[in-house]
Amino acid sequence: MKRLMLNVNSWTISACFIIILLFLPNLTILKGVFVPSNENWDHLKNFVLQDYIQTSVLLVVFTAFFSIVIGLSLAWLIAQYQFPLRNFLKWALILPLAIPPFIGAYTYHGIVNYTGVIQKTLRNEFDIAVNPSFFDIMNIPGAIFIYTLFLYPYVYTITRIFLSNQSASLIESAKILGKGPWQIFFQIVIPISRVAIIGGSSLVVLEVLNDYGVVKYFGIQTFSTAIFQTWFGFGDIETSIKLSASLMGFVILILVFEKLLRGKKQFSFASTKVKPLPLIKLVGLKALFATSYVSVIFCFAFLIPVAQLVSWFILTFGKIPIDEFFLHIKNSVLVAGISATIIIFCALIVGNFSRIVKGKYVKLLPKVTVLGYSIPGAVIAVAVVTSFIALDRFLSPLYSAMGIDSKLVLSVSIVMLITAYIIRFFAIGYNAIESGYDKIGVDFSHASRMLGAGLIKTFVKVDLPMMKGAIISGFILVFIDIMKEIPLTLILRPFNFDTLATKAFQYASDERVMAASQASLFIITISAIAIFVFHYLLEKEPR
Amino acid sequence: MFIAIENVCFSYSNSKENAIDGFSMTIDKGEVISILGRSGSGKSSILRILAGLELPTKGTFKIADNILFNHNIFVHPEKRGIGLVFQDYALFPHMTVIENIKFGLFKLSKDEKKKRLKEVLELVELTGFENRYPYQLSGGQQQRVAIARALAPKPNLLLLDEPFSNLDAELQYKIRKDLRDILKKANITSIFVTHDENDAHALADRIVKIDKGRIVKIGRPCDMLGTPIKDGVLQ
Amino acid sequence: MKKIISLFVISLLLILAACGNESSDPAKKSSTTEKEETVTESKEVNLYTSRHYDVDDELYAKFEKETGIKVNVIKGEADELLERIKREGDATQADLLYTADVGRLYRAKEDGVLQAGSSELLDKQIPKKFQDNDQMWYGLTKRARVIIYNKDKVKPEELSTYEALTEDKWKGRVLIRSSENVYNQSLLASFIDINGEEKAKEWAAGIVNNLARNPEGGDRDQAKAIAAGIGDVAIMNTYYYGQMLNSEDPEEVKVAEGLGVYFPNQETTGTHVNISGAGIVKHSKNKENAIKLLEFLSAPEAQETFATANFEYPVNVDVEPSELLKSWGDFKEQDIPLSVLGDNNAKSIMIFNEVGWK
Repeated sequence: MKRLMLNVNSWTISACFIIILLFLPNLTILKGVFVPSNENWDHLKNFVLQDYIQTSVLLVVFTAFFSIVIGLSLAWLIAQYQFPLRNFLKWALILPLAIPPFIGAYTYHGIVNYTGVIQKTLRNEFDIAVNPSFFDIMNIPGAIFIYTLFLYPYVYTITRIFLSNQSASLIESAKILGKGPWQIFFQIVIPISRVAIIGGSSLVVLEVLNDYGVVKYFGIQTFSTAIFQTWFGFGDIETSIKLSASLMGFVILILVFEKLLRGKKQFSFASTKVKPLPLIKLVGLKALFATSYVSVIFCFAFLIPVAQLVSWFILTFGKIPIDEFFLHIKNSVLVAGISATIIIFCALIVGNFSRIVKGKYVKLLPKVTVLGYSIPGAVIAVAVVTSFIALDRFLSPLYSAMGIDSKLVLSVSIVMLITAYIIRFFAIGYNAIESGYDKIGVDFSHASRMLGAGLIKTFVKVDLPMMKGAIISGFILVFIDIMKEIPLTLILRPFNFDTLATKAFQYASDERVMAASQASLFIITISAIAIFVFHYLLEKEPR
Repeated sequence: MFIAIENVCFSYSNSKENAIDGFSMTIDKGEVISILGRSGSGKSSILRILAGLELPTKGTFKIADNILFNHNIFVHPEKRGIGLVFQDYALFPHMTVIENIKFGLFKLSKDEKKKRLKEVLELVELTGFENRYPYQLSGGQQQRVAIARALAPKPNLLLLDEPFSNLDAELQYKIRKDLRDILKKANITSIFVTHDENDAHALADRIVKIDKGRIVKIGRPCDMLGTPIKDGVLQ
Repeated sequence: MKKIISLFVISLLLILAACGNESSDPAKKSSTTEKEETVTESKEVNLYTSRHYDVDDELYAKFEKETGIKVNVIKGEADELLERIKREGDATQADLLYTADVGRLYRAKEDGVLQAGSSELLDKQIPKKFQDNDQMWYGLTKRARVIIYNKDKVKPEELSTYEALTEDKWKGRVLIRSSENVYNQSLLASFIDINGEEKAKEWAAGIVNNLARNPEGGDRDQAKAIAAGIGDVAIMNTYYYGQMLNSEDPEEVKVAEGLGVYFPNQETTGTHVNISGAGIVKHSKNKENAIKLLEFLSAPEAQETFATANFEYPVNVDVEPSELLKSWGDFKEQDIPLSVLGDNNAKSIMIFNEVGWK
């Protein structure tokens, strides 16, 4: 009874409401596990599934590994050292996130293929005919290369913020104990940033699992291929949902595993003593090395592909209709902005719930919302359409009472698309918000309550201002992800609704990657502006 | 008898053993009580239970005949009128000294607020630091802001969690004395938790020694030098 | 708090629904007019299309200008759009489903989301061969899947049929994209119909055996691989070859110019063709307008636009292919009902999987 009194309050109710809402469409997929297997399932199992799973595992493991290596090393260099260009690269290293991986894949292939700039120059200027297979990136290592380049920022961003805010005392004490920089890195930095690393790399893993664009173009068969083969090829959506459900089951396993791995070691630094890590100035060779390493990664992950896109943009300028682009920009920014706002709002409520509530298992509850991020967007889309049509049918008496003549109102409006975004990208926003809550701990809000402020006042006056960084970073991550989102936008949009991403996809899917450069560059520019604003606001933050 | 705590029990959700077992005592108005125990003895849990941050499994807690919890009443922390000074102070980093202290004074009128602010700032001798941010203050100053913030709303009871653990030894000696002066000047009933016998002896009117969640001994500092009284005798 | 939140959610939903409706205004109006269909004519037609070409948009705009009927479009992937129509059921806003592959139209018909519709004009403009038997869908353009070869290394006389590419002489010289691609699925589906499942499987296995490399990339990439010397012949769509010849990138044009087009199976069963076409949605609210749009798209003017701007072959026999297409010569097409391509789709995927065609 008393437990109830402490736990049940408006937060709990709203949080559970949000969680259930986000989880419902996933449930329609998850129940697909119980669909009996048919001959399509058997066929897949007999001939291809093993190969596909093997490929998926390869992609996931190696992409995660390289993303961690690159993301963590960059985070550590930037957080601990001062070297030329550091202040620019600090935020520029997030920029690759603005490039949709499928555009990255098309672009890189465009650079290295037979008519690409490298082979063309070698051939025409120097008369060197190279072995084309040397430049072939349309294979598993190539896909790992692409995924790593455009997804490592997840690891980098989360780990860097963690390291620069939280590690000062530990690293300083290690130094006092006479540890060298490499020892500190391996014995202190890696273990203490484990939570951040796992958080970032799990986003990378989920992105790789749900991606279809890159592997389809490269002709690599993964688990997503199986999902789409049964749906598009066999016209058997039940089996493809069953496959998706299995994938979800696998992701649940990963989540449980992650929780076990984290164990009880939660690092919360709830005191004013949290101080920034002082920078060590590198000089001479060391500075040169640091600058070159970081710059090389920045070049590969951002500068080179963008330069290629710009040159294509110039080649095709005037041949691609441009008059509607302002409308597309407006659409993109509007849906991404609205969805990201709602996601962060909900994540704040759910995150606070998970922080306040007591009980280990209840705390795990919000984790189920991550499921929407684990399976291909097209499958989520089917679940969302189904839910919305049911909702519209349920609301139809209301519609007729309001004098609306249509049977479908919500499901032909943009609400459906935005809801789908929220279901899919909640995990990204929640991740950021949760780590923000972790960082401030509970003492500040307890202090506020001891001073007579209720939950809501505490939230507004104490938690929110202290969470500013987490809120902005969560918002930006979600915003960028939605800017470049494809399958949901394609299927769930209302009539005559185009975004920059759908435009880029339209040309790319028709193998007209040069024509796609225009929309892609707009996506990248807008996302880059968002990242810059994010960086600027965070820098100004006191403390 | 101003405060009555009766038979309070508490256990963590993941363990069956009682972290606090049958904690009972009464406190007079204006008394300074020290709860003394080793780390893990349950001393901090008592503080958090009294503050309303943890749920006791059993027991009653009354201040001036107002029930704060018993078997079917549970008053939320913000309604208890109890002040708490956190071990690491938990000063809001985004607020200045004055904003921190003002935080609990939202019920007062503007003039009253101003008056009260002046009072507590003088009490903790921090006049002139109003517009500093917490990170611009020394450890001792931070502690005094935390105390001022907790005292400002005139709580019935002030709780202090390890008030000296974050200060260096030299400062500790001075602040012990300052703290006692502040508490006595404010005439506030207070309970502080410590693991350091010297702290307890220097500050407290009475000391409650606990071990493994049970009271081992209660008495004035001068009485505490003898052998511990056996369990149960005091109850 | 709860109140605030629910208030927030509800108001947000309403606002969004309001602006959503504004943008999907046509959809709303169209259903408003549904009731009065007999009385007043609606001024809208709603299209779900998997074709992503700018030239399509130009044609819709022209249609709008000529008839005053507004064309509302959702562009997506064919199967996903079909699934959306299915789930929307009788409430759907869609009037036409327009896809770049006949297999999808067949599936839509099988799934019962299409209805019959006809007009004299349509019959006149679109040969029976490119219409559904029950007139539920109509072909609008066609593409041929041909053999592209390296002019320096392969003489056209060496080429004959798709089947001949499985001979030993082509070992390590054949290029074709992944079996995930619907054009390949339709190609194999046509062989299943013409030669039987056994022979089709032999063919697929033979191609896999002769591949110059694991299938990767799109159709254009196969052409580039010929130029790069990885292989000598590729199976690809004329449409992509035409695009390469007219590419913005001079290097691609150079590659394309070194290649030749060969229409296989001229002496035997004919070259494989597939169509882009549109089906009339069963619960269409603007069927009249849908048929008008079909008539417009199959009329000579639009057909010429398809042929010149998009390198597709017209279905309307009164319209000549573009100069470029004509320069490749006339060819004999496979003589099979196009619906078999859809019918055999699943079978062909299974064969691909079984023979290990990636």
